[in-house]
Amino acid sequence: MPQKIVAATALAGLITLGAAVPAAAHHSFAAEFDINQPIQLRGTVIRMEFTNPHSWIYLRVTTDSGEVQEWAIEGGAPNALIRRGWNRDSLPAGTEVTVLGYRSRDGTLRANGASVTLPDGSTLNASSTGAGAPSAQ
Amino acid sequence: MRSRLPLAFVGLLAVAAATLAPATLAQDRARPERIAGKPNLNGLWQAANTAYWNIEAHSAEAIKGFWQLGSLAAIPAGPSFVVEGKIPYLPEALAKRDENRAGWPASDPEAKCYMPGIPRATYMPYPFEIVQGEGDTILFAYTYANANRPVFMNPEDHIRAPVDLWMGRSNGRWDGDTLVIEVNSTIDQTWFDRAGNHHSAAMIVTERYSLISENALQYEATINDPDTFSQPWTIRMPLYRVLDANARLLEFNCVEFAEQLIYGEYFTNEPAPAARP
Repeated sequence: MPQKIVAATALAGLITLGAAVPAAAHHSFAAEFDINQPIQLRGTVIRMEFTNPHSWIYLRVTTDSGEVQEWAIEGGAPNALIRRGWNRDSLPAGTEVTVLGYRSRDGTLRANGASVTLPDGSTLNASSTGAGAPSAQ
Repeated sequence: MRSRLPLAFVGLLAVAAATLAPATLAQDRARPERIAGKPNLNGLWQAANTAYWNIEAHSAEAIKGFWQLGSLAAIPAGPSFVVEGKIPYLPEALAKRDENRAGWPASDPEAKCYMPGIPRATYMPYPFEIVQGEGDTILFAYTYANANRPVFMNPEDHIRAPVDLWMGRSNGRWDGDTLVIEVNSTIDQTWFDRAGNHHSAAMIVTERYSLISENALQYEATINDPDTFSQPWTIRMPLYRVLDANARLLEFNCVEFAEQLIYGEYFTNEPAPAARP
């Protein structure tokens, strides 16, 4: 019975979660992100998109100088995240989170997310798998 | 070995009998009326109406901006497939419908080759196939965007999906001879038609498929979405068996036709680099 539910969930992950259009950005970690630029972001979730091949978390971050920035944090594929316990209610809009990740090489407000820490202190593993991304510790 | 040989022999006899039997008998063998006591819905089905343009009643009109195509780029008139006549939108949702319509075709997820969702997939102008066996799952496979969905018939599998899905989560059951499918986890990005009719992620669709003759199904989809509509409403239309010789489910991999629409900013008119020797 548990096996059945796992299989069904995995299947649901396979079918869906994405438009049929392949996103432009299925890539190795190193092609887009810089492992030498780790970053910690504290901000408010604007929205989360469970899309293939990578999920995206959009974050509103206020810098020390008071500037409000909108960051896009790339995460693992929906199926990978769901198997680690993520679901549609994991990051509702407005949630205060701390994200550890790596900045994009092109300097835009994007990062590859490794972990997301929730207000209660619990941490979700957001990392991509099999693309050379460093795993969350 | 001893038991297999006679079986193989019986099999041969059966094949011979089927070959020699009158055509009707052969057809019965190919398509039994019932499977595990339930109506056999296997086959290719397709709507033959204008619902894919607009599930509500509408007049004929030109598609603006494509005058070079003449009457090829025109929308034919059609009746309403909404049992109640009109879709009972809440005021804000109606404004969103009008915004969707004003932005068409670029705003339409179908133009981008996104998976169409339910119920839209049912009455797009392409066939879909029902694959029904004796197991716990009935497969629905659609021509458009290679979309598909398993319908989970075992109540133990009736869950809400962990995230919203383009084709939703389909939990099925039989109500007498009617296949009833409750579709939940419907992502809020799909539409009902090319007229901008839309819904939220709170939508639950209850579909009913009933054979009304050997080659026709009555289809009903009741839409329950209190975030978008003031009350539940129902789409109803027949679906017809595709009887064409050599009919089969073909894939319409529409991705390549949507690329310039979606990623046009990356397109150039320069010729592609020559292939390496």
